[in-house]
Amino acid sequence: MAKESVESGLTWEVRANSRHYHKQKQKKSFLCFRWGQYADNAVHSHKYSALTFLPLTLFEQFQRVANLYFLLMMVLQCVPVISAIPWYISFIPLLIILSVRGIKDLANDMARRQSDSKINSQPCDVLVSQSFSRAQWKDVRVGDVLRIHKDQVIPADLLLLCSSEPHSLCYVETADIDGETNLKFRQAPSAAHNELTCQPSEEMLAAFDGVVLCEEPNNRLYTFRGQLHWRGECLLLDNEHILLRGTVLRNTEFAYGLAIYTGADTKILRNCGKLRVKRTQTEKVFNKVVIGIVLSVLLAALLHAIGAGLFSSWVMSHTGVPYALVVNGNPVYTGFLVFWSYIILLSPAMPIALYISFEVIHTVHSLFIGWDMEMYWQQAERPAHARNTSLNEELGQVGYLLSDKTGTLTQNRLLFRQCCIAGEIYGDPSVRAEETEPMDLSWNPFSRGGLFMSAPSLVEKLRGQQCPFSRQFLRALSLCHTVMAEWKEEAPVYQAASPDEEALVGAARELGWVFLSRTRDFIIVSELGVIRQYQLLALLDFTSKRRRMSVLVREPEGGLKLYCKGADIVILDRLQKDCPYQERTERALELFAQACLRTLCVAVRSVPEASWEQWSKTLAQSAAMATCDRDALLEKLYDQMERELQFLGVTAIEDRLQEGVPETIALLQQAGLKVWVLTGDKKETAVNIGYSCKLLDPDTRLLEWQELRQILQSPDPAVSFFKARQTALWAVDKQAAGVKTAVVLTGPELAEFDQRPEWGATFMSLAEQCQSVLCCRVTPGQKADIVTLVRKHTSSVTMSIGDGANDVNMIKTAHVGVGLAGVEGGQAVQTADFALSQFRFLQRLLLVHGRWSYRRISLFLRYFLFKTCSFALVHIWFGLFNGFSAQSLYETWFIALYTVLYTAAPIMCVAFFEQDVNADSSLKWPELYKSGPRQELSSPLMLFLSLLYAVYSSLVLFFIPFGVYYNTDYDLQTMAVTVAMAATFTATVEITLLTRYWTKFNVAFVCISVVFFFICSRITQSTRLFERSPSDYFFIGASERAFIDPLVWLAALFTTWTAVLPSVTALAINVILTMHDKHKVHSASLQPVELRSKLRRGTSLRRSSYALSQGAGPGRLITSGTCIRSTVPTVDEKVTESENSTDSQVQIHMKDNSHVPNGT
Amino acid sequence: MVKEEQELANRPDNTAFTQQRLPAWQPMLSAGIVIPGFVLIGLAFIGIGVALFVTSRSIQVLELDYTGVGQNSPCYKCTYPNVSNCVCDLDFSIDSLFKGTVFFYYGLSNYFQNFRKYGVSKDDVQLSGDLTNFKSPSDTCSPYVYDSNNQPIVPCGSIANSMFNDTFQLFQKINGTKTLVPFDGKGIAWWTDYNIKYRNPSVTPLKNAFNSTVKPIFWSKPAYDLDISDPANNGFINQNFLVWMRRAALPNFRKLYGRIDEGVYAQGLPAGNYSLAIAYNYPVLSFDGRKKVVFSNVSWMGGKNEFLGIAYLVIGSLCILMSIVMLIVYAKFKFPEED
Repeated sequence: MAKESVESGLTWEVRANSRHYHKQKQKKSFLCFRWGQYADNAVHSHKYSALTFLPLTLFEQFQRVANLYFLLMMVLQCVPVISAIPWYISFIPLLIILSVRGIKDLANDMARRQSDSKINSQPCDVLVSQSFSRAQWKDVRVGDVLRIHKDQVIPADLLLLCSSEPHSLCYVETADIDGETNLKFRQAPSAAHNELTCQPSEEMLAAFDGVVLCEEPNNRLYTFRGQLHWRGECLLLDNEHILLRGTVLRNTEFAYGLAIYTGADTKILRNCGKLRVKRTQTEKVFNKVVIGIVLSVLLAALLHAIGAGLFSSWVMSHTGVPYALVVNGNPVYTGFLVFWSYIILLSPAMPIALYISFEVIHTVHSLFIGWDMEMYWQQAERPAHARNTSLNEELGQVGYLLSDKTGTLTQNRLLFRQCCIAGEIYGDPSVRAEETEPMDLSWNPFSRGGLFMSAPSLVEKLRGQQCPFSRQFLRALSLCHTVMAEWKEEAPVYQAASPDEEALVGAARELGWVFLSRTRDFIIVSELGVIRQYQLLALLDFTSKRRRMSVLVREPEGGLKLYCKGADIVILDRLQKDCPYQERTERALELFAQACLRTLCVAVRSVPEASWEQWSKTLAQSAAMATCDRDALLEKLYDQMERELQFLGVTAIEDRLQEGVPETIALLQQAGLKVWVLTGDKKETAVNIGYSCKLLDPDTRLLEWQELRQILQSPDPAVSFFKARQTALWAVDKQAAGVKTAVVLTGPELAEFDQRPEWGATFMSLAEQCQSVLCCRVTPGQKADIVTLVRKHTSSVTMSIGDGANDVNMIKTAHVGVGLAGVEGGQAVQTADFALSQFRFLQRLLLVHGRWSYRRISLFLRYFLFKTCSFALVHIWFGLFNGFSAQSLYETWFIALYTVLYTAAPIMCVAFFEQDVNADSSLKWPELYKSGPRQELSSPLMLFLSLLYAVYSSLVLFFIPFGVYYNTDYDLQTMAVTVAMAATFTATVEITLLTRYWTKFNVAFVCISVVFFFICSRITQSTRLFERSPSDYFFIGASERAFIDPLVWLAALFTTWTAVLPSVTALAINVILTMHDKHKVHSASLQPVELRSKLRRGTSLRRSSYALSQGAGPGRLITSGTCIRSTVPTVDEKVTESENSTDSQVQIHMKDNSHVPNGT
Repeated sequence: MVKEEQELANRPDNTAFTQQRLPAWQPMLSAGIVIPGFVLIGLAFIGIGVALFVTSRSIQVLELDYTGVGQNSPCYKCTYPNVSNCVCDLDFSIDSLFKGTVFFYYGLSNYFQNFRKYGVSKDDVQLSGDLTNFKSPSDTCSPYVYDSNNQPIVPCGSIANSMFNDTFQLFQKINGTKTLVPFDGKGIAWWTDYNIKYRNPSVTPLKNAFNSTVKPIFWSKPAYDLDISDPANNGFINQNFLVWMRRAALPNFRKLYGRIDEGVYAQGLPAGNYSLAIAYNYPVLSFDGRKKVVFSNVSWMGGKNEFLGIAYLVIGSLCILMSIVMLIVYAKFKFPEED
């Protein structure tokens, strides 16, 4: 057996109820070594333990080149021969930055640990020696038998053994895994069900000793292959038998399952992807610049070292008075020492303070995000939260937004908003659902509220029995569905396979047609208080191909009626020739489509008894046939029955969007972002949402796979894509339609990309020109693959937003991941970089905070480069005139204080407060955002220009004082003070040129910084400090004299002005040139709005807005009776408890596929 | 109530700071500010430049190189090797009166007083009069800490060791008779150097403090005997020593030797013939150095400095030029030709 199973790839062996067997193979780990097969069920997303924290964090931190560089600097400064600056001046900042980062990482890790332990300690029932006992998720092991209660989250991937429901069915909600909102059913293997349910279950379950052989753990959510070996039998297992971790048990009292995959082996965790450290684009560019600077410094030091060697050998050959200039007789050794000295002397060009400030700025920007009142959601009392505090400027550069649908764009609530009966439209879509005037439904004892449609005229018609159409329409709604009714507190509670059906049946209930209960053969409905029992003859099930479903019922009066609902295209095709309200119906459909409501058409047909008999016979025959042909045959048969329909009306359901979604998407698109939707849900629903959230315009041409594939395969994809856009199907205005194209793809189609990697680049270049891309029915893994595709083929920053566990992978993969917390707080938040409560907050996060952050950080980096390089590179030029001796041109204290005291505060103020335009204007002119994705402020060129400017300034800073003091009696210290003064002034003038938003802090800190320079210079050069330590404060008296010397002032001021002249000129030219542009921007921003409204008027096209989130299946279950328990309609004695309905319970086992009615 | 509190706990503060709505001044620059601004700054710079230039022009300077490179040079004889106690006379004449107090400098070229190893080679503690550092000078003075007999050198270090030791005497020649023009060497050093940074040990007589130490190797006289004429001007507070110890910024520099402000010369140095007697001790030719003496009177901006005045004029004119260019660009943009 084992050999056979190995051959078929089923190597994962699970023995029920035998912990000791699995324990031997339990996965264990020590430090970084791991062995064993079976993972435990605990999630470990934390990285550190007490033992590994220090080495791991140090290892991670010294992976940053900058930290290594600073460490090297520190070590160098400890060597007295070459040291120009005391060692502690760089040691303390390094220690600070290492510990700050370490503590931050540790805090993050602790938070992860906490959320892990929250998940791991959720309760569940585990079977231990014949009885279930409460345990925690982390205690679940492979082979354990678990009991899951209603509405519990399933803790591991389980094989369903049996459940409380008939036939051991159970329902699960998989929204967290695939985003689909309909309930799915799972069924236990029949043998297990038969054996385990008929006896007291716990003993039976404890005695259960089946062995499951299945695939190794993998990430395929929709497939499962395995065998159950039990009592000598071998049962095949597939996906239908498996309850996945993360799904929720619904409508089922309890279910028993055998744990097959636990913890990290479960399918959802396999889909989660790896946690990766995210770095921003700006940081990457900047790191390159840093490396460039370090290399330049090394080069300069090397050249000076060579110079020093030559100089010392020249001095050696001329022994004389300055013999002492060369301490060591060996020029090479002198050069070697000077090399390191220059590295130290030039190291302030790349100060460690830069990294500390960078971290501080990021943290403050993150705090600002959390503090924003506009991103605080009152309803859940939750502000926005930046969980990853190092990605702020990336928010200002996003090019692609990849969004989940369910729970992110939509609220996952479906509301019956409108209907059209006999050409008459009821309800008003222009009123928001919450603001609809509630109708007086007090006459209806079953009314529970929840109808967001105001149509008193309809109610009047219904109650007045005036309009037979509307009564038929509502009867159709109350009969044609697969909903189950459960009785709670004297009223039916509906359990539907899709939220659409729940909305429809609920609306019928409100309007007086109350679906009370169903048995296999009967549907009981209360029509305006009158209980009627319809015999269910056949249920023509829904499939995504048929796009319709029908019920065939025998009315209490005896007539046969077929009620049908489905997509407009399908139903309208099947109508009788002379439909009276054709035109008005079409108009209604168009209106509903414009309002982006999901529509279903409802129709009825009276079926003659004779044709029914004929049909049912054929049905019975074909039902008995082999499976493969049967489906096709059944479909054909169904098609025969659903003909000659009489049209009743149209329902319009609103898939409730989150607040402000269309506005946000429109704004983001104006800001130049590409918004893509990635969803596990169906194509129709996704497209419908695409329209309703204004992602697609009514005249957008949808490009589907067949066509896209041809384009991709064609030799010149760009040309054929252009052609495809030209031949717009529905467009009236060809030119306009040519522009708007959207691609719709589904998961299986995307899988083809794996085989044809060369398509990726082509596809992305096409997608670039498209309005949007919708990807439907994609797995979490595929969502991440799409993000990777975008990342790989474009240089844009990608942002993923989602709420559920199925979005975790793409959130981790994208440059920036946003988790929506919503009301309950989603799974995605745990791994997201930013947590928001509402989708609409995205506009503020990106257009306001992102744009500001990007601008502030770009300014900060460029300014910091300028101020440090211009001040430090002076030593290169001074070296040429002091024998390459690494003589500092500054007082030691000035070097130490320049970056932290004299120039730090003003730039920090800019990095905190700078706004070129305020928040409201940022949202008003989203075009302003476009400079971020284009890297206008942080491109390598811009950074290079800043560097060039710094080099220029350093030249000015040295050579002008050089010219002034050449051949005079001014000493080195006076020159040092002059250059220091000029450098401080230059940095200050430069920051005043950069600042556009002068808060009181900016003004204060600019003044304070300059004043600090004078005060600190006087202090460090004062008598008292000199007397304390002559060798540390040897500049005594220098500034005292220099500050009153007019020549020093004239030289310093002149140097300053010359040094900033390029910047001032650039600013002035910019002012003169942009005057003109500003008017352009303002006048241009108004135009698109007008254009759009014109288009809207011009087009008279109609598209089908049919959408239904329902899968095939529930119909089969109903007709086979498997899912119906002993429904006891308690309210009514009038309901004739027919023999048949009780029979059905018994019959289930005997005739599962019987469609033959019993007949009354 | 509890709920309200919770709400308050999570709800961000509505302050101008947290909401990033701090009141701020947002200067809107326009061509109307920028272009006149450039003109104003340009004019100011030209003004300063003219003032500096004119002032600089009014300063009289006389520079005389006495290194003795050429054979005709009066000090050529002193450049022979193995010549000691050489004195040479440098004759020169002044055409017009040097007004005011005339400053007398000696200057050195190609002399790297700003060399790092040279600069650190001193002991600040010793120089502030601490006797413990007389016995054991700091290592920073290397290689001039101890002499070959392992005696501590005071003052130690390379700077002190290389102190400039040429001396000058100026004579005015009137009808063949030489009149000494006295140099006033008082107060030529920085006040802080003289009073705080450098101090003699409080031992009288000063000589005793230097017991069991040796003078720097290149010195001919010990520190306590630098100025025989004025006993107060000895030790570490000798004015010439202090001037020397203040390192020059660049390899071409001059240092103040004395002022001519006594007697008849208080009003200036009259026109006529002069002779400068130079005790030529300091060797510079070995490293291609040059020695010179400079007579100069000073103004509010110190000595003659044409560089700064010209630089101000250049940049000022540049600003004016740029403002004109900007005006043209602005005019083109504001009134495009096609309109």
